[in-house]
This record gives sequence, structure tokens and C-alpha cells, in this order.
Amino acid sequence: MTATSAPVRCTPQAGRAAPLGLARLLRVELRRNAMPFVLPLIALVFWFDSYRIAATLPPLWAERLFYIFGQGHMLIDFAPFVAGVAAWMGSRDGRRGLADLLATGARPRFAVQFATWAATVIWAVGGYLVFMAATLWALSRSITYGAPPYWPLAVGAVGVAAFSAAGFAAGAFFPTRFTAPVAAFGALLACGVSSQIGFNEGTGWALILPTNSNSNFGQDAGVFYQFLPDLPIARVMFLGGIAVALVALLGVPVTAGSLRLRHIATVVSAAGAALTVTAIALTATAQVTGYGTVIPALHDAASSRPIPYTPVCRNAGIRVCVHPAYRPWLADVTAALRPVQTQMAGLPGAPARADQVATLFTVGGPGLGRSSVGQIATISGQPAVLYLPLGALNLSGAFGQDRTDFLDAIKLQTVHAFVTAGSGYGDPAQTAVQAALVQNAGIPLARQARQALPDSPWGNAIAGPPGNGGYPAQIATAATRFAALPAATRHAWLAGHLTALRAGHLTLAQLP
Amino acid sequence: MTAADVHRPAPEAAPPPPARAVPGWLRLAWLYLVSRRAPAAVAVLAGLGAVLWASLHWHWDVAGGAAAQQAIPLAIETGAAMVIAVTCYGPFGEPERATGRWLPCLRLAAAVLLTTVAFGALAAGSTAGGLPGGIPALLRNVAGMTGIGLLAAAVLGGALGWAAPLVYLVLAEGALADGATTPWAWPARPPHDLGGALCAGAVLAAGLLVTTVRGARESVRD
Repeated sequence: MTATSAPVRCTPQAGRAAPLGLARLLRVELRRNAMPFVLPLIALVFWFDSYRIAATLPPLWAERLFYIFGQGHMLIDFAPFVAGVAAWMGSRDGRRGLADLLATGARPRFAVQFATWAATVIWAVGGYLVFMAATLWALSRSITYGAPPYWPLAVGAVGVAAFSAAGFAAGAFFPTRFTAPVAAFGALLACGVSSQIGFNEGTGWALILPTNSNSNFGQDAGVFYQFLPDLPIARVMFLGGIAVALVALLGVPVTAGSLRLRHIATVVSAAGAALTVTAIALTATAQVTGYGTVIPALHDAASSRPIPYTPVCRNAGIRVCVHPAYRPWLADVTAALRPVQTQMAGLPGAPARADQVATLFTVGGPGLGRSSVGQIATISGQPAVLYLPLGALNLSGAFGQDRTDFLDAIKLQTVHAFVTAGSGYGDPAQTAVQAALVQNAGIPLARQARQALPDSPWGNAIAGPPGNGGYPAQIATAATRFAALPAATRHAWLAGHLTALRAGHLTLAQLP
Repeated sequence: MTAADVHRPAPEAAPPPPARAVPGWLRLAWLYLVSRRAPAAVAVLAGLGAVLWASLHWHWDVAGGAAAQQAIPLAIETGAAMVIAVTCYGPFGEPERATGRWLPCLRLAAAVLLTTVAFGALAAGSTAGGLPGGIPALLRNVAGMTGIGLLAAAVLGGALGWAAPLVYLVLAEGALADGATTPWAWPARPPHDLGGALCAGAVLAAGLLVTTVRGARESVRD
């Protein structure tokens, strides 16, 4: 056999070789990336800052994921580290003085940089998804109803990609050793500012910020109605646009590659920026509805339908029914209602049944005016039904509340609904009768003023801010006097005067 | 002319100018600092001092409790520690370690110098008034966080040494929010608390020791 008779080996076609070469480059970059070193630190921060707190919250998806998805801690915990490491990877060639050398390589400089960024983002987003999967699995073990919302998960993933793009671009354009810490510090600052805006703004463009929980996460979403995807979709567009714009920006400089590539990179970068601006503009058209934030251009009417359910019920003197997601608190609700129901039984307007109702978002954004005390228990209908928005109360374990706080809140809200017809702050006579009935339901006046009342939406108007003392002296005196009456006397007086009391026609002096 | 004559100056050549009287050790120290980008680090630290001054002067507030009130000063102190951490590694690697007899002393001196500069810059920034805990807390926090950065540079590599102070910031903020009392969470302790100061000082001492003896870890991923 001679050389000429050897079988001809097919040479790979150029079109096939290029992707293979890029894949090899990506594999090399994945192996030599710095992100895996930092992932354990991110895991520590994420566990401490997010999971540790989420695991102590009541077992409802909207509660447990409030910190992580609602307030955007999934992004806050990742962003500084991802931006810093991405900046380090982006500045690598420049710091080593290899930029010119690589610009003369077989592949365009942009392709090499893109491979490095892609490896960085694969590690970062992969780590994010693994951590989130583990978190959702761990949190789900004690949640018996519903499923977590997946759009906010996507927001976090795209957000991680966006911060990595921002850090990488910073590193590529300013290749010094200080770029990484400055990028990390900048990301921390950006997240901090975003959180601050998120705490204060409930409408308009600020809703685009992934750390803004107002008007879109919480309440009874995922229980009575779905988590609306409109805002998360806009956020994915916003963050995705930033990522695309910044990565494509790497292809714009003269050294990035051919003229054609630079033109394409310019167009893609502009398209990314346009996508970001579009997302902000769409968010500016958002309307807050009871079920969350609706963006008309992105809204699917099917997502606004209530979720059908079969209530679970129990007896507390009256029949008490709650959503099956709230089954763990049904015993507490009946325990709270029983001593109140004992005092209300047989009186005009006393509820014959108690039903849980959905807690809704405040239309027009958050905030309580003087004319409204927010969403509280109400009594209405014939026969009268007590409607309890349990989601508006702080359930046991939520935000520092314990079981006693939860029971106290139900007692107070029920009596308030019964005495004041369920709205407004209550006049002095109503407040005194309410205080007396609540005291006889097991909450002494001092504890009412110190704890139960300030936690209620109307409490500060009566007792002042927490720790400010107690009921005004006249009200406290009248309440103590009324509470001290024999139960039969009190019941008889209420039977005769409740209608006038509810209408606001009685004064403190007219109380027995 | 023989080979031996080569070292002699030609009779007509001008005498060499007198060498400038720069001590060798000073030149060595300067070159070391330049190789670690210390001058740029000083500029960044000065910038952080200015940011601290601005935050105190214009009362940049963060909504929330004790953790939120300390968030901005702590973040700036963390930034200073991050900057010091990334000045630890050098570009020369093995040759420097093999030939640099004074390297441990230079590492120690550079770390101490930059920590001092960081404290000075932030102390100057705090003259706007209202720094939570005052100068004692600033000194304690900068010292402790710098120690964490130096230790991280030895473990993770100088390139990633900045990450550990950032982690500590999150942990410290959590400790502040939870009302933790462990002295290892020194930002949550009162400014004159001995336990917190000892812990921060111990971490700084450990960081300086490791930096002096071993220096920053060099990673192929740098």
C-alpha cells in the first residue's frame, strides 16, 4: 500500500468545525472558570439570608416565598458575587495583556469572550437553579396545598444572567484587579437601592424592579387565585434585555471581529436595550387589581379566574369553614371564635356561620388612608355570615407573630366587625364595648392596648403607636365597667342597644 | 585593549552622574506596592471615604431597624476590606517567591499600610458625623473585615479574596437583624465591647499572619 492508495479521510466541513470548535472552547472555559469557587459562598449566603427565614414562615407558598421571590432575595444573594466573578472572568485577558494577541487569533475576539461569558453564566444560572430546586423541595415538605410560582424563578435566573453580563462587560472594558470588587460592590448597591424603592413604591415603573413585592406577591395568591404572571414576564423582558444589550456590546469595539459581526452586535445590543425600555413602558401601564398587578398587553384572562376549592369546616358554636390550604389553622380559628361566639349568640346580627374569604391586593397600591382600615373581617348577609380574610392577618410564625397574636387578631377583628359593622375605626362607645367583649374573650385591656390593637389596621388611631400606653382613660373606664357586668345583664343591654351602638348613636356616658 | 580593560571607562568619557540616594529597601518596597497596585487601591479607598462622608452628610437612610441603620457604613467598610484583599496577590508567582527574601516583610508591611490607609480614609469620611458606633466601631469593623479578606485571599486566592468580606457583611446584617450577641458578629456589638474587639483583632492578626507567611493563594483560574 502506498501513500496514494491510502483511503481518503473526509475533512470536516468548515461549517461543522466552527460549532465544534466553539463547543470545545466552551468546555475549556467551563473547566477554568472561577465561578465554582464562589458557589459554596453563595450557598452559605442564600441559606442564611433566604432559606433560614423562609423555613420559619407559615406553610403557604405565598408566605414562604415572600422573602425569596417577593422581595427578590434570590437575586440579592446571588447578584454581587455573580457580578464580581463575571467581572474577574471578563477582565482576565486584559489583565494579562493578552487582548491584542487574542484579537489576532483564528476566532473573532467576540467569540472567545462570548464563550467565557457563556461558561460563567452556565455556572451561575446552573448554581442558582440547583439551589432553588433544593430550596423549593425543602420548603415544600410542610406545604400541603398548591404549587410554587415558576415565573419569579425565571426572573431570578434571567436576573443572574443579567448581573453576570453587567459584571463581565465591566471587566472586559476596564480590566483591572479592582474591577471585580467594584462590580460586586456596585451590584450590592444596585440591589440595595432597588430594595429601598421596592419598599416604598407600589405602582408605576418601579414595579419592574425584581425586589419590589408590592401589589404582585403575597396575600392569598396561589390559594384563592393564581400568581399573576404579567409582572414577572415584564421583569424577564427587562432583565433579559439588559443581558442581551451588555453581552452584545462586547462585539461592538474594532477589535471584536469583522465589520459584519460588529454591525450585528450593534443591532443586537440596540434590540436588547429596546426590549428593556419596552418592558419598563409596559409596566408603566400596569393596573393593580385585587388579584395582583395586571399588564393589559401581557394579560391572559384565564389567569384571573379564581381557583375552585372545597372548604374544610369545623364547629365553634357556629360552623367555621376555611380554604383547605388553611387547614393547619382551622383549630386555631375555632378556638379563637368560640369565646367570642358565646357572647354574641342570640344577639341581633350575630353570625350564623364563619367563612374565610380571599385576601386581596389593595387596588391603587398599598397604603391605608384615614377613610379605610384595609381588609378586615366583616359581617353581612341574612342569615349573617362572618367573613374572615385570614391571609390579611399575620399567621402564627409570620413576621415575628406567635399563636397568641393570631388568636387575638381573630377575636379582635370578629368583635370589631360585630360592634362597628365591620368598617371604620369605631367611635368611643363602640371602642369601649369592643374592648369589654374582647376582654371577656380572654384578652385583658392592657394586652389589647399593648399588642392586639396596635397590630390591627385601625389600632394606632385608638391606642397610638405600639408602646404608647393604652386606651384613652375614659374608654378604659367605660370598658372596665361594662366588662364587669354580669353576663346576662350585658347580653340583655346589648340585645336592646346594639342597633343604636352600631349606628353610632350612643355616647360613652350612655353605657351601663 | 584586553578584556580586562573593558570595565574601565575610556579616558575621554565623562564621569557617571552620582546615583540618587534612594535606599534600596525603599525602592524595593515601592516596586512591591506598585506590583500590587497599591496606589490605585489607595485611590479607591479614598473614594470609599468620600462615599461614607456623602452618606453621612446627606443622611442616606435605609428603611428598617438596627441592621438597616448600619447597612451603608458596613457596606463601605466591607468595600474597603474587599479592595485590600485583592491587592494581596502578585503577578510574578514562583520567581518572586523563589528570589524574594524580603517578601514576607513586604506582604506584612503592605497589608498593614493599606489597612491603616483604609481606616484613615473612612475616619476622614466619618467627620460628617453620625457614624453608628463612632470611630471605635469603625476601627473594629475595618480591622475584622480586612482580616477576613486576607484570610480569604490565602484560601480562595487573591483574585477572589473580596468575596469573603461580602459574605461576612450579609451574615453581620443578619446578626444585627436577629439581635445576635455573639462577639464573632462584632458589628452587632456595642462599639466599646471587648469581646467584639478581641474577635475582630484576632481575625486581623490571623489574616496578617497568614498573609505574611504564605501570601495569597495562586490559582490557575486567576
